[in-house]
Amino acid sequence: MITALLALTAPLVFAAPPTKSGPESPAKSVAIRADVVWLGDGRVLEKGVVLFSEGRIAEIGTNVSVPAGVETIEHKGFLTAGLIALHGYTGGQAGEMRDDARPAMPNAKIGLVFDASSPDVADARAVGITSLLLTPNAEGVAPGLTAVVKTSSRRLLKDEAHLSLVFNAGGLVSNREPTSLSGAVAMLDQLFAKPTGAVERAHGGSLPCLFEVGEPADVLRAIDFAKRHDLRGVIHGAVLAGEVADQIKASKLSVIVPAIGVGERRRNLKSVVALAKKEIPFGFGLDSPVNNPADLRLGAVMCVREGVDAKVAWNALTSEAARIAGVADRVGTIDRGMDADVVLWSGDPLDLGSRVIAVYVDGARVDGDKR
Amino acid sequence: MKSLIFGLTAAVSLSSGVASMPRDDKPESKSWIIWADRVYTGTGMNFDAGMVGVGGGKIAIVAASRGSDDESSDRILRCYAVTAGLVDASVRITNGASSVEQSNEIQPNLRVANTLDPFAIEWDRQLRNGVTSVLVNPPDLNVIGGLSVALKTAGADTIAERTLKNDAVLRGSMGSEPSRGNHPAFGRPTDFFSRRPTTRMGVEWAWRKAFYDAAAAANDSTRAFPGSERLVQALKGDLTISIQAWATQDIRTAVFLKEEIESQAEFKNGLNKPRMFIDAAAEAWKEPQLLVRAKIPVVLPPFPAAGRTRDNSFMAWNVAEELRKEGIPFALSSHGSAAPENALAMQAGYAMQGGLPFENALAAVTSMPARLMGVADRVGTLEVGKDADLVLWNGQPFEPSSRVIAVIVDGVLRYDARDKAVAK
Amino acid sequence: MWMRTTQLTALLSLCALAPDAFAGNGKIVIKCGRVVTGNGPDIENGVVVIEEGRIVAVGKDEKAAWDAEVLDHPELVAYPGFVEAHSSRGMDRPNENIEVAPFLDVRDSIDPINFYFEDVLRQGITTINVQQGPLCVIGGQGRVVKPVGLTVDEMTVRSSSGLKIVAGSRPGRSRATQAQVLRKTFGELRAYLEKLVQDKKDGKDYARREALFQGRDMDKDENKNGRAMEGVASWKLENFEIVPRGEVDEKQEPLLRLVEGKLMAFVYCDSAVAVNNALETARSNGFLANTVLVLDGDAWKAADIIAESGVSVVLGPNQLFVERDPLTGKEIETFVPKVFFDKKVRFALQSLNSTAQSLWFQAAQCVGRGIDRKSALDAVTRTPAEILRLGKQVGSLEKGKDGNVVLASGDPLSVTSTVQFVVIEGNLVYDRSKDSRARQLLEGIEQANAGPTKTDDDVPVDPHSGKKAEDTKKKSETDGAKKD
Repeated sequence: MITALLALTAPLVFAAPPTKSGPESPAKSVAIRADVVWLGDGRVLEKGVVLFSEGRIAEIGTNVSVPAGVETIEHKGFLTAGLIALHGYTGGQAGEMRDDARPAMPNAKIGLVFDASSPDVADARAVGITSLLLTPNAEGVAPGLTAVVKTSSRRLLKDEAHLSLVFNAGGLVSNREPTSLSGAVAMLDQLFAKPTGAVERAHGGSLPCLFEVGEPADVLRAIDFAKRHDLRGVIHGAVLAGEVADQIKASKLSVIVPAIGVGERRRNLKSVVALAKKEIPFGFGLDSPVNNPADLRLGAVMCVREGVDAKVAWNALTSEAARIAGVADRVGTIDRGMDADVVLWSGDPLDLGSRVIAVYVDGARVDGDKR
Repeated sequence: MKSLIFGLTAAVSLSSGVASMPRDDKPESKSWIIWADRVYTGTGMNFDAGMVGVGGGKIAIVAASRGSDDESSDRILRCYAVTAGLVDASVRITNGASSVEQSNEIQPNLRVANTLDPFAIEWDRQLRNGVTSVLVNPPDLNVIGGLSVALKTAGADTIAERTLKNDAVLRGSMGSEPSRGNHPAFGRPTDFFSRRPTTRMGVEWAWRKAFYDAAAAANDSTRAFPGSERLVQALKGDLTISIQAWATQDIRTAVFLKEEIESQAEFKNGLNKPRMFIDAAAEAWKEPQLLVRAKIPVVLPPFPAAGRTRDNSFMAWNVAEELRKEGIPFALSSHGSAAPENALAMQAGYAMQGGLPFENALAAVTSMPARLMGVADRVGTLEVGKDADLVLWNGQPFEPSSRVIAVIVDGVLRYDARDKAVAK
Repeated sequence: MWMRTTQLTALLSLCALAPDAFAGNGKIVIKCGRVVTGNGPDIENGVVVIEEGRIVAVGKDEKAAWDAEVLDHPELVAYPGFVEAHSSRGMDRPNENIEVAPFLDVRDSIDPINFYFEDVLRQGITTINVQQGPLCVIGGQGRVVKPVGLTVDEMTVRSSSGLKIVAGSRPGRSRATQAQVLRKTFGELRAYLEKLVQDKKDGKDYARREALFQGRDMDKDENKNGRAMEGVASWKLENFEIVPRGEVDEKQEPLLRLVEGKLMAFVYCDSAVAVNNALETARSNGFLANTVLVLDGDAWKAADIIAESGVSVVLGPNQLFVERDPLTGKEIETFVPKVFFDKKVRFALQSLNSTAQSLWFQAAQCVGRGIDRKSALDAVTRTPAEILRLGKQVGSLEKGKDGNVVLASGDPLSVTSTVQFVVIEGNLVYDRSKDSRARQLLEGIEQANAGPTKTDDDVPVDPHSGKKAEDTKKKSETDGAKKD
């Protein structure tokens, strides 16, 4: 079993040219002209053209000269960067997202269990999600390293995105040390007292941390810890994080809003509004496949309805999410040189009546209506 | 009531006038004047129709007359009685089992403060009952559970900012509770619950071993273990030990532990000066002379309606009065219970039903617990310079027919139900 | 074994507490430093004269019979015994499994030597309306008792005090089911009565034979004659008078009396939703005027419609209702008695338990929360007496009322007061100096002739887990300490 897994995962990490699989077709050059193009930095192009070449965005503008022989697709609708779901297990295998033998295994890489051929990955792709932050289960005190994957390839966009650190009671197991929050903090303090490997990189500031929390009190505990060891990174898991927005703002940490469902309580949504009001960078978690991938866009829209600025909510799905995942140089915005990860929508993507017409990852059409 | 000085007309105002009180216009004002028919200072001096002035989060004036302030000022709070904020020396507003580390029975260096939730609803409940300072203990699922923290029940959003005193006491437990859940290794999957004490005598042994090991570590650094420096602090008397012991036999065990440390050769060189109080000492009334001999104060748990309480102990309702007669310092507590009848103010009332005079009941829920927690310089009485933690009552404090109508913590009006109560 | 010992202990101690209870002649004179009459101003150095169980004089210089026992305690305060308007304590299992059981009577389950009746004396309660628990639809008939006597008959102040009806939901059943069963019950009563009339017209005598089988004496006047349907129900029965009263089945007869307005209803509402159901049932079946609502949970939120209906209420033991604000998560407190006080609804209080949070405590809380002292005292004396239709018999110290007097060391609403003596119907039934259990609680002194102290072996063992009750209790306490 383990050998099989290794055999499966080894080429993903080491193969130099990206190997493509499944529904992907070779990324040939293509140009798309859409009624509305959201660039992701606030700019909007009417009747904009985006030219893909070799999996990257080669050109954007309203007056792009499309080389001869390159097809121009006319799209009556919106074009945006692909959505980025922060925090989830899609493509990971149940039972493989944690190792409960030890509470601290900071160098474990969750990216190694990613299976791009999982139907869950296709589900995420179909609703316009082009990148995912894959996270280990929040158990023990340091369950491993997060990774950023694309929903169309086995290639990891980043195999070491964050060092995951757990600050909530849910991470405790009653018959393994630590059984308490104080014991967990003591164990983490010990890890950082003589940092090695990923802990050392986190300590030096080169690797951001993912602080797994639950209650607002956990947020404060995480902030305290970050301050004590001079860490940067992002907080995930507190639906009421907005109620300690002042402290988060001061800590300079960003936030992954836990997955929002149809029946989300108003108090939780108000908390997102509070984060936005304080201009705290945030993205949206999804925790797929437990949650339906479609909930990602739904959650953002619900926040807009509660009072979050539409632009802020959209960035949280794309450009801000890319920054939080540490991949803003590659995805999250439509710009020259960025990966050609693009979604075509039938209308305004923050209108839930709008649907996905096509999804492109690395310039290849990977999902969408039959043409 | 003794010769308490109601009707004392001589002003003991320490400042020339109310007008000089510092004032600020922030929404969280820290300046107030409290006019009360009764001012119970907790120092033995009480005033009829007196006044307490608060400025900058501290008590600025305590006076037997009201001064000449403008009666219509919204800075004036009127009430029947004012006391210092109540202090509870045994509270557990924690995250339950995740607030005490159980992977080892001796955890002297873990702080319960790291596990607390400043937003827990229980803080507000304490506040509404007039409690402004508390000692939060780790749950007693362990022999030595860790370091308790003294906190204010209201204030800033973080535990750190509400802390009165970090590492206020070293907390542990005698009796049957620390061994509950432990089991012998045979016959079931082995985990760390299969090696810890399973009996009272095992618990007692774990206590003694911890201190003997710590004393050895003090003389030989190679024998140090996690938390041994905390135990050494406790042996030197720099860190008070709080032991939960409900029943007589466990109270005795705690007393003998202290006396053993004070007398054995291993603890010479200054390691023989432990300071200790016993918490939840329901059966302290049975052998008070032991506590007198060992100079150990106690904290009492809530009065049980039918006498019988935890760890198979029996708590008589005159226990507080008996302790007073014996000269044993004691505090009352809710022992962390959220039940309304276990509220701290109710305990003072019940102690009075058992014969305790009002002044002593007041001390047992204010100055005495403050002393046990080591924060008596900050809270527990109405004295100039102390933290402005005040409780305003609409009747005689501790009577069920009175209620807390307002609570001020560090000068800020944190609970205000004056409009809901008709003044008597 | 343990059970038997405690019951025996209770019996012994009750006998010890109340030496004169059963031999008393109902003649006593009480002289106290203060007499709280509950009917006008307090009397300093007052006298209460009781003869043949009734108060014959209350005043300052009342003359008493030469042979009357005198309780002369200038240091004590006398006040009328408290009245518990509704309690499901003191019974052997308060809930019957049959969901519609109007024919049941608490007479058969009241346990005269239950500790409860001893506890309430220490808290100054002298009259209790015992009603079935809330796990039923129609629970049966309650009974007003005094907490003294060795048989239920001795204890009884008034039998058949009212029918217990439950309008809300109960565990395992929905509100809709409960409402439907309640409707069906009265529908069936009507169908049954109609059939009685029809059978009589048709000359069938099944009902008569059944009545004879049930052992009723059909020659007695009250059974022999029929009478017209009374009450103000929305439905009436033509020709009902042709049915001899004795032929009405005993299982249906209490419901008939309810509909006719001859029996009170104590309708338990666990929520505001249940109040509607309760009032609607009472209205459509004509017993609204005889209805008392027993409230719990958030039923107080229906205070407006309760006020409009004019019914009286007995408030739940948890007087402070706490709920969470969904947006802030903060707790919002509502003091329930104040809601009804402000809306001028007649309300009585219930004890939270039989010891420290008894009626005096509940009334004291009312004073702290803005209800004037007289109204608060009324809510545990006169008002429950009136609600129980005993307004002329108990609830205050007035000439002609039962001689139920409590003598306490201080003000009835003070935590420092202790009940020293209780007189019921002119007999001294409680004397604290002889109360060995109280001494044990207060002073830790083991009571005399109580048998061996409880040992670990006496703790009952849970038959399911094999664990001792004490262990289970401890565990739940620890669980309770955890945050939810």
